[in-house]
Amino acid sequence: MPHQAIPTPETEEKTSREIAAPWKVIVLNDPVNLMSYVVMVFRKVFGYGEQKATKHMREVHELGKSILWTGDREQAETYVYQLQRWRLQTVLERDD
Amino acid sequence: MIEFSLQVESRIIQAILPELGKIYAASQRETVFPFVCPNPLDDDLVEAWENGLAEEGRGDREAVARLMSDPKFAHGRVAVPEAEAEDLLRGLTELRLAIRSHSLAEVSDEELESGEFSLSGRDASERIGYFAYLVLAEIQERLIERMG
Repeated sequence: MPHQAIPTPETEEKTSREIAAPWKVIVLNDPVNLMSYVVMVFRKVFGYGEQKATKHMREVHELGKSILWTGDREQAETYVYQLQRWRLQTVLERDD
Repeated sequence: MIEFSLQVESRIIQAILPELGKIYAASQRETVFPFVCPNPLDDDLVEAWENGLAEEGRGDREAVARLMSDPKFAHGRVAVPEAEAEDLLRGLTELRLAIRSHSLAEVSDEELESGEFSLSGRDASERIGYFAYLVLAEIQERLIERMG
Protein backbone atom coordinates (compact mmCIF):
# COMPACT_ATOMS: atom_id res chain seq x y z
CA MET A 1 0.00 0.00 0.00
CA PRO A 2 1.55 3.32 -1.03
CA HIS A 3 2.44 5.67 1.72
CA GLN A 4 0.24 8.69 1.78
CA ALA A 5 1.07 11.78 3.81
CA ILE A 6 -1.68 12.70 6.21
CA PRO A 7 -2.21 16.45 6.17
CA THR A 8 -1.52 18.05 9.50
CA PRO A 9 -3.36 21.18 10.67
CA GLU A 10 -0.17 23.13 9.87
CA THR A 11 0.04 21.96 6.22
CA GLU A 12 -3.69 22.43 5.72
CA GLU A 13 -3.42 25.94 7.07
CA LYS A 14 -0.44 26.68 4.80
CA THR A 15 -2.30 25.39 1.71
CA SER A 16 -5.39 27.45 2.42
CA ARG A 17 -3.18 30.49 3.06
CA GLU A 18 -1.48 29.97 -0.33
CA ILE A 19 -4.84 29.80 -2.11
CA ALA A 20 -6.24 32.76 -0.21
CA ALA A 21 -3.17 34.97 -0.75
CA PRO A 22 -3.53 37.52 -3.54
CA TRP A 23 -2.23 36.41 -6.93
CA LYS A 24 -0.86 38.63 -9.66
CA VAL A 25 -1.73 38.21 -13.33
CA ILE A 26 1.35 39.38 -15.23
CA VAL A 27 1.56 39.87 -19.00
CA LEU A 28 5.01 39.66 -20.61
CA ASN A 29 6.26 41.56 -23.62
CA ASP A 30 6.62 39.89 -27.00
CA PRO A 31 7.84 41.40 -30.27
CA VAL A 32 4.95 40.09 -32.39
CA ASN A 33 1.67 41.40 -31.01
CA LEU A 34 0.53 44.84 -32.13
CA MET A 35 0.01 47.56 -29.54
CA SER A 36 -3.58 48.06 -30.69
CA TYR A 37 -4.19 44.32 -30.35
CA VAL A 38 -2.83 44.23 -26.79
CA VAL A 39 -4.96 47.24 -25.77
CA MET A 40 -8.05 45.61 -27.28
CA VAL A 41 -7.40 42.33 -25.44
CA PHE A 42 -6.94 44.10 -22.08
CA ARG A 43 -10.22 45.94 -22.63
CA LYS A 44 -12.07 42.76 -23.54
CA VAL A 45 -10.65 40.50 -20.83
CA PHE A 46 -10.59 42.92 -17.88
CA GLY A 47 -13.21 45.44 -19.00
CA TYR A 48 -10.66 48.26 -18.65
CA GLY A 49 -11.19 51.62 -20.31
CA GLU A 50 -9.00 52.76 -23.18
CA GLN A 51 -6.72 54.83 -20.91
CA LYS A 52 -6.05 52.10 -18.35
CA ALA A 53 -5.58 49.43 -21.02
CA THR A 54 -3.12 51.69 -22.88
CA LYS A 55 -1.18 52.37 -19.65
CA HIS A 56 -0.74 48.62 -19.10
CA MET A 57 0.19 48.05 -22.74
CA ARG A 58 2.92 50.72 -22.43
CA GLU A 59 4.25 49.07 -19.27
CA VAL A 60 4.45 45.75 -21.07
CA HIS A 61 6.19 47.38 -24.03
CA GLU A 62 8.61 49.55 -22.06
CA LEU A 63 9.26 47.52 -18.90
CA GLY A 64 8.83 44.03 -20.34
CA LYS A 65 5.82 43.18 -18.16
CA SER A 66 2.81 44.60 -16.40
CA ILE A 67 0.68 43.43 -13.50
CA LEU A 68 -2.82 43.47 -14.96
CA TRP A 69 -4.80 42.27 -12.01
CA THR A 70 -4.37 41.10 -8.39
CA GLY A 71 -6.83 38.99 -6.48
CA ASP A 72 -7.95 35.49 -5.64
CA ARG A 73 -6.41 32.47 -7.28
CA GLU A 74 -9.47 31.12 -9.08
CA GLN A 75 -10.28 34.39 -10.83
CA ALA A 76 -6.59 34.91 -11.63
CA GLU A 77 -6.45 31.50 -13.34
CA THR A 78 -9.51 32.42 -15.38
CA TYR A 79 -7.78 35.61 -16.57
CA VAL A 80 -4.59 33.72 -17.44
CA TYR A 81 -6.65 31.26 -19.50
CA GLN A 82 -8.42 34.07 -21.36
CA LEU A 83 -5.14 35.90 -22.06
CA GLN A 84 -3.51 32.73 -23.39
CA ARG A 85 -6.57 32.25 -25.57
CA TRP A 86 -5.55 35.58 -27.18
CA ARG A 87 -1.91 34.31 -27.38
CA LEU A 88 -0.50 36.75 -24.84
CA GLN A 89 2.32 35.39 -22.70
CA THR A 90 1.00 35.45 -19.18
CA VAL A 91 2.23 34.23 -15.81
CA LEU A 92 0.62 33.92 -12.41
CA GLU A 93 2.62 34.89 -9.32
CA ARG A 94 1.78 35.07 -5.67
CA ASP A 95 1.69 38.62 -4.38
CA ASP A 96 4.18 38.49 -1.54
CA MET B 1 -19.80 41.87 -42.57
CA ILE B 2 -16.49 43.68 -42.16
CA GLU B 3 -14.94 44.46 -45.54
CA PHE B 4 -11.91 46.44 -46.66
CA SER B 5 -9.16 46.51 -49.26
CA LEU B 6 -5.54 46.16 -48.25
CA GLN B 7 -3.11 48.93 -49.10
CA VAL B 8 -0.71 46.56 -50.83
CA GLU B 9 -0.53 45.54 -54.46
CA SER B 10 -2.25 42.31 -55.45
CA ARG B 11 1.03 40.92 -56.80
CA ILE B 12 2.49 41.05 -53.30
CA ILE B 13 -0.50 39.17 -51.87
CA GLN B 14 -0.18 36.59 -54.63
CA ALA B 15 3.56 36.28 -53.93
CA ILE B 16 3.07 35.64 -50.21
CA LEU B 17 0.07 33.30 -50.43
CA PRO B 18 2.07 30.10 -51.15
CA GLU B 19 4.43 30.87 -48.25
CA LEU B 20 1.48 31.65 -45.98
CA GLY B 21 -0.09 28.32 -46.98
CA LYS B 22 3.11 26.44 -46.07
CA ILE B 23 3.50 28.18 -42.72
CA TYR B 24 -0.19 27.71 -41.94
CA ALA B 25 0.14 23.97 -42.65
CA ALA B 26 3.26 23.75 -40.48
CA SER B 27 1.52 25.60 -37.65
CA GLN B 28 -1.19 22.90 -37.64
CA ARG B 29 1.44 20.28 -36.83
CA GLU B 30 3.41 22.09 -34.15
CA THR B 31 2.57 24.50 -31.37
CA VAL B 32 4.06 27.96 -31.76
CA PHE B 33 2.42 29.38 -28.64
CA PRO B 34 2.81 27.28 -25.50
CA PHE B 35 -0.29 27.06 -23.34
CA VAL B 36 1.22 27.12 -19.86
CA CYS B 37 -1.05 25.93 -17.09
CA PRO B 38 -0.38 27.92 -13.90
CA ASN B 39 -0.66 24.73 -11.84
CA PRO B 40 1.78 22.31 -13.55
CA LEU B 41 1.59 19.74 -10.73
CA ASP B 42 -2.10 19.04 -11.30
CA ASP B 43 -2.05 16.64 -14.27
CA ASP B 44 -5.83 16.74 -14.76
CA LEU B 45 -5.87 20.53 -14.80
CA VAL B 46 -2.88 20.69 -17.19
CA GLU B 47 -4.65 18.31 -19.58
CA ALA B 48 -7.94 20.23 -19.40
CA TRP B 49 -6.09 23.55 -19.79
CA GLU B 50 -4.09 22.52 -22.86
CA ASN B 51 -6.93 20.61 -24.54
CA GLY B 52 -9.41 23.42 -23.87
CA LEU B 53 -7.20 26.09 -25.41
CA ALA B 54 -6.25 23.86 -28.34
CA GLU B 55 -9.92 23.11 -29.03
CA GLU B 56 -10.93 26.77 -28.83
CA GLY B 57 -8.01 27.64 -31.13
CA ARG B 58 -9.42 25.41 -33.86
CA GLY B 59 -12.07 27.99 -34.76
CA ASP B 60 -9.38 30.67 -34.98
CA ARG B 61 -7.39 28.63 -37.50
CA GLU B 62 -10.52 27.86 -39.50
CA ALA B 63 -11.23 31.60 -39.80
CA VAL B 64 -7.72 32.10 -41.23
CA ALA B 65 -8.21 29.21 -43.67
CA ARG B 66 -11.47 30.76 -44.90
CA LEU B 67 -9.73 34.10 -45.48
CA MET B 68 -6.84 32.56 -47.39
CA SER B 69 -9.11 30.46 -49.59
CA ASP B 70 -11.37 33.40 -50.46
CA PRO B 71 -10.59 34.27 -54.12
CA LYS B 72 -11.05 37.98 -53.31
CA PHE B 73 -8.18 37.85 -50.84
CA ALA B 74 -5.68 37.24 -53.64
CA HIS B 75 -6.74 40.66 -54.94
CA GLY B 76 -6.29 42.37 -51.59
CA ARG B 77 -9.91 42.24 -50.45
CA VAL B 78 -10.75 41.13 -46.91
CA ALA B 79 -14.31 40.15 -46.03
CA VAL B 80 -15.17 38.57 -42.70
CA PRO B 81 -18.51 38.17 -40.89
CA GLU B 82 -18.53 40.28 -37.72
CA ALA B 83 -19.16 37.17 -35.63
CA GLU B 84 -15.86 35.70 -36.88
CA ALA B 85 -13.70 38.81 -36.49
CA GLU B 86 -12.28 37.85 -33.08
CA ASP B 87 -11.50 34.31 -34.27
CA LEU B 88 -9.68 35.75 -37.26
CA LEU B 89 -7.71 38.21 -35.10
CA ARG B 90 -6.48 35.40 -32.84
CA GLY B 91 -5.77 33.13 -35.79
CA LEU B 92 -3.72 35.85 -37.48
CA THR B 93 -1.73 36.33 -34.28
CA GLU B 94 -0.95 32.63 -34.25
CA LEU B 95 0.08 32.76 -37.90
CA ARG B 96 2.34 35.79 -37.26
CA LEU B 97 3.93 33.89 -34.36
CA ALA B 98 4.50 30.97 -36.75
CA ILE B 99 6.09 33.27 -39.36
CA ARG B 100 8.33 34.69 -36.65
CA SER B 101 9.32 31.17 -35.65
CA HIS B 102 9.80 29.76 -39.19
CA SER B 103 10.87 32.56 -41.56
CA LEU B 104 12.14 35.27 -39.23
CA ALA B 105 13.99 33.22 -36.64
CA GLU B 106 17.25 35.04 -37.46
CA VAL B 107 15.73 38.48 -36.90
CA SER B 108 16.22 39.86 -33.38
CA ASP B 109 13.28 40.85 -31.18
CA GLU B 110 14.51 44.45 -31.23
CA GLU B 111 14.64 44.59 -35.04
CA LEU B 112 11.21 43.04 -35.34
CA GLU B 113 9.61 45.27 -32.72
CA SER B 114 11.15 48.50 -34.01
CA GLY B 115 10.52 47.64 -37.67
CA GLU B 116 14.13 48.62 -38.40
CA PHE B 117 14.74 45.54 -40.44
CA SER B 118 16.85 45.62 -43.59
CA LEU B 119 15.80 43.25 -46.35
CA SER B 120 19.13 43.42 -48.14
CA GLY B 121 21.22 40.32 -47.62
CA ARG B 122 18.21 38.33 -46.45
CA ASP B 123 17.18 35.23 -48.34
CA ALA B 124 13.90 34.92 -50.28
CA SER B 125 12.15 33.02 -47.50
CA GLU B 126 12.91 35.78 -45.00
CA ARG B 127 11.86 38.55 -47.39
CA ILE B 128 8.57 36.86 -48.30
CA GLY B 129 8.02 35.94 -44.66
CA TYR B 130 8.50 39.56 -43.62
CA PHE B 131 6.05 40.84 -46.25
CA ALA B 132 3.54 38.23 -45.09
CA TYR B 133 4.12 39.30 -41.48
CA LEU B 134 3.39 42.94 -42.41
CA VAL B 135 0.31 42.13 -44.50
CA LEU B 136 -1.21 40.12 -41.65
CA ALA B 137 -0.45 43.01 -39.27
CA GLU B 138 -2.32 45.38 -41.59
CA ILE B 139 -5.33 43.05 -41.61
CA GLN B 140 -5.28 42.97 -37.81
CA GLU B 141 -5.00 46.77 -37.54
CA ARG B 142 -7.88 47.33 -39.94
CA LEU B 143 -10.06 44.71 -38.23
CA ILE B 144 -9.45 46.29 -34.82
CA GLU B 145 -10.35 49.74 -36.19
CA ARG B 146 -13.61 48.40 -37.58
CA MET B 147 -14.50 46.41 -34.49
CA GLY B 148 -14.45 49.68 -32.54
